[in-house]
Amino acid sequence: MTSPYQCLVARESTETGPGGWTLFGACGSTLVAQSSSGGTSAWTKPDDPVTETQPQDEETEGPPEKKVKLSQPPKQQKANFSNLIVSSDGRYLVGVTGEDKCIRVFETDITNQLRQLSERCMTRRPCSIALTSDDSTILCADKFGDVYSLPLLPSPDYQAPEAPAPEPTKEAEWVPSATVLTVHSGRNRKTLEDQLKQKKKGPAPPKDDMKFEHQLLLGHVSMLTDIVNAEVDTRRYIITADRDEHIRVSRGIPQAHIIEGFCFGHEAFISRLCLTQSGRLVSGGGDADLYVWDWQNFKLLEKLPLLDAVADHLKSRSELAVGEISKVAVSGIWSVAYQDEILVACEGVPALFSFKVGATTNSGSASTEFSSAIALKGNALDVAFLPISPTSSVVVVSIDHVHKPGSTKEAREDKDVSRLQCFSAEENGKWQEDSHTSEALKSFHDQVFDVEAGAIGGDDSATGNGKGLGSADDKALRDMLYNVENLRKRPGAED
Amino acid sequence: MPGEPAKRQKREEYKKTLIENDAALPKKKFYRQRAHANPFSDHSLTYPKSPADMDWASLYPTYAVEDKEQTTSRSHDNDEEEKSTAVKALTKNVEIADIGCGFGGLLFALAPNFPDTLMLGLEIRTSVTEYVQEKVRALRVQNAATGAYQNASCIRANTMKFLPNFFQKAQLTKIFLCFPDPHFKQRKHKARIVSYTLNSEYAYVLKPGAIVYTITDVQDLHEWMKGHFEKHPSFERVEKVFEEGEGKDGEGMDECVRLMRSETEEGKKVTRNNGMKYVACFRRLVDPAWP
Ligand SMILES: C[S@@+](CC[C@H](N)C(=O)[O-])C[C@H]1O[C@@H](n2cnc3c(N)ncnc32)[C@H](O)[C@@H]1O
Repeated sequence: MTSPYQCLVARESTETGPGGWTLFGACGSTLVAQSSSGGTSAWTKPDDPVTETQPQDEETEGPPEKKVKLSQPPKQQKANFSNLIVSSDGRYLVGVTGEDKCIRVFETDITNQLRQLSERCMTRRPCSIALTSDDSTILCADKFGDVYSLPLLPSPDYQAPEAPAPEPTKEAEWVPSATVLTVHSGRNRKTLEDQLKQKKKGPAPPKDDMKFEHQLLLGHVSMLTDIVNAEVDTRRYIITADRDEHIRVSRGIPQAHIIEGFCFGHEAFISRLCLTQSGRLVSGGGDADLYVWDWQNFKLLEKLPLLDAVADHLKSRSELAVGEISKVAVSGIWSVAYQDEILVACEGVPALFSFKVGATTNSGSASTEFSSAIALKGNALDVAFLPISPTSSVVVVSIDHVHKPGSTKEAREDKDVSRLQCFSAEENGKWQEDSHTSEALKSFHDQVFDVEAGAIGGDDSATGNGKGLGSADDKALRDMLYNVENLRKRPGAED
Repeated sequence: MPGEPAKRQKREEYKKTLIENDAALPKKKFYRQRAHANPFSDHSLTYPKSPADMDWASLYPTYAVEDKEQTTSRSHDNDEEEKSTAVKALTKNVEIADIGCGFGGLLFALAPNFPDTLMLGLEIRTSVTEYVQEKVRALRVQNAATGAYQNASCIRANTMKFLPNFFQKAQLTKIFLCFPDPHFKQRKHKARIVSYTLNSEYAYVLKPGAIVYTITDVQDLHEWMKGHFEKHPSFERVEKVFEEGEGKDGEGMDECVRLMRSETEEGKKVTRNNGMKYVACFRRLVDPAWP
C-alpha cells in the first residue's frame, strides 16, 4: 500500500532560472524532493532498529494523554516525519520524526540531493518547530509544554557540560530528600522508603540525555501544539499555542522568559497558528470559529465561521454522504504568499477553505470575509506553495488517497487517486485546478513507499489490491495522519 | 472523590446543616481529601476564559461596584463591552494570591493584617476549597459588625495551567507558595509548582517590586525553588533580614514571612514535629528594555 504524503513544504530554486522551485514531501519515514526542472531524489531513514530511548516513563507520565502502558514486543520502530520546514534561504530542510523524538537537519543542494547533517533526539516528543528569521536557531515546542532552542547547525566544538558523574557509591554522602520529618502523606512515606532503599545503591543518574547544545526558553503546563516566530520592526516574538486554549506571546531570544501577554478567547484546544501577510495572527483548533488577532495588543479582531463553511461545503457534496457535522478540528492554516488570504484544512475534510483577511480598514477593525471552498478528491493533509513567479504561487495539496473523503477511518474503494492536487489562482482570485503543474509533479505522485516497509518501489508495486483498513499498520497510518481531534478534552475526566 | 457512600452521605448531610447555621465554622474532618491531585490532567475544572471574564463580585460582594452601573453596561450583548465592565466589577483588584492554599490558615491570618487588600486562595482540591469557602462565609457572618474577612476568598483552580486566566499582567503584589507538594521522584519534577518556566508566569502576574514567598520543610525542594528563581532573570532574592530578621526576636523580618512560618497548617505541623523550615523570597524585577 502506498501511503499519502503527510507533510509537504516547498522552496524557491532559482538555480535553474526564475520561477524555479523544489517540492519536498514526507511519506512515512521517507523524504522526497522534486524540482521544477524534474530532478527527484529521496532519503529514507536508515533501517536501524530504533531502540526506544525511554521505554515508558516519558511517554506515559505527562500531560495530557491517559496513561496507557502497552507491553509491546520490542518491535522495530519506524520514525515517521511529523513536521517539515525549510529555512528561509532554502538551503536547509528541518524535519521531526515523532516516534524517536528526533529533529533532523538536511542540506539540499542544487541537484536536490538530501544530505542529513544532524540528528538530535529530544527527551520529549516535538510537536511543532520553527526557525528564527535569521535561520540560525530552531525553536522546538514539545508535548510536555516546553520550548527549546537549538542551533540549526551545531557548532563542532560544542562541549556538553560535564554531567554530574554518577557518584561512585559513596553511601554516607547521599542523603535522601524526603526525611522522617517530612511526613506529608502516606505516599510520600512510601517515597521515603523507596529512597532509603535507593540510598543503598546511590542516586539514579540524571536523565537529561540531550547531549547537544540546547536551551530551555519557556514552557506551558500543557501540550504545545504550535509555535510561531514573529518579528515586528526590531522586536522578535515567540508565539505558542496549547491544548488548554492558551495563546502566549513571549519575547524572542534572548528574553524569551518574558511573557508579553495572552490572546484569550478560545474555548476548545488550539491546534494551529498562522501569521498573515499583514501581520495578523489567525488561530484555530477545536472551536467552531477561527480567531483573528491583533496579537501585539492581545485583542480579538474577528471570528471566522469555519464550522459553518465546512458544514455548508459538505452538504453541497451529497456524493460524500457525510451527515450533519457539529465540530471541526483544524489541521492546517496557511498564509497565501503575496495576498492577505489564508487556506484552512480540517481533519477528515476533503476541501480547503479560503478566507480573505483584510488589512486594517479606516474604522480600525479588520474586515475579513469568507470567500470559497476548494473541493478536493480526498481529505486534505498538507499544503505547500510553489513560487512560480515573483507574484504568484501554485498551491500543492497532499491528499489522503487511502481513506474515504470525509472519513478518517473507512477505506476508499476507488484506487488510482492521485496523492497531490495543484491549484493556481485565476484573475478573479478563484482557485482553479492546475493540471500543468500536476503533470510536472508526476514523478512525485508516483514515488512509492510503504510506511511500514519504508521501501521505495517501482511504479507497479504501488496500489496493490487494497487490504482492509483493519490492521495495526492501518491504525498506525491513521494515527499519523489524524491526531488533531484527539486533542479535544473529554468532559467529566477525573476530578 | 470523597470516598465510600456512607461517608459521602454523612458529608452531604453535614454540609446541609451548614447552610442553616450560618455562623458555624466548618469542621475540617468533613473536607479531608487525598493529598495529591495531578496538575497535568484535565479535571472538570471551571475557569474564566480570561481575567476579564472572571466573576469577582460574587467572591467579594462588599467590594462590588454599584449595581446600577453594571446592569446598564451588562445589557449590551457585546463582547468588548462586557469585558470592560467585568473588570470594573470590583472597586479594587485582588493583589495577594496564596497558591495551593490548602485549608487556608495563612489566608485567615493575612486577612485582618491587610484589611484593605483583597486576597485569594487558589487550591486544586475540591473539598479543601469548599472548606475554605465555608470558613470565609462563617467568619464574615461572625464579623458582620466590623466587615472583617470580606477581603479574603478562595476558589478551586489548577494554577499551574490557568493562573493567567485569573490575573492580569502585573496585577499582584504578593504570591505565596507555602509548603508545596514536594514530588520527590525525579520523574515527577515537572509537577512541581516552581520551575524556571512557570516562574515566567508568576513574573507575568506580578508587579515590579512584588514578592514571591516560598517556604518548605524539604531541603531538597528548597534548593530546587531557590535554584529555579535565582536562575530566572525576572527575580532576585530578597535581603536576608527580610526572611530571617535579626536577633532573637527576628527583628526586621517581613510581616508575611512571620505569618507564613507560623500560620500555615503545614507550618504548624512542622513546628510540632520540631522540623526545619526553609524560607526563600524573591522580588520581581523590572523588565529590561527590548534588545
Ligand atoms: C502541602 S499543601 C500546603 C497547604 C498550605 N499552603 C499550607 O502551607 O498549609 C499543598 C497544597 O497545594 C495544592 N496544589 C497542588 N498543586 C496545585 C495546583 N496545580 N494548583 C492549585 N493548588 C495546588 C494541594 O492540593 C495542596 O493543598
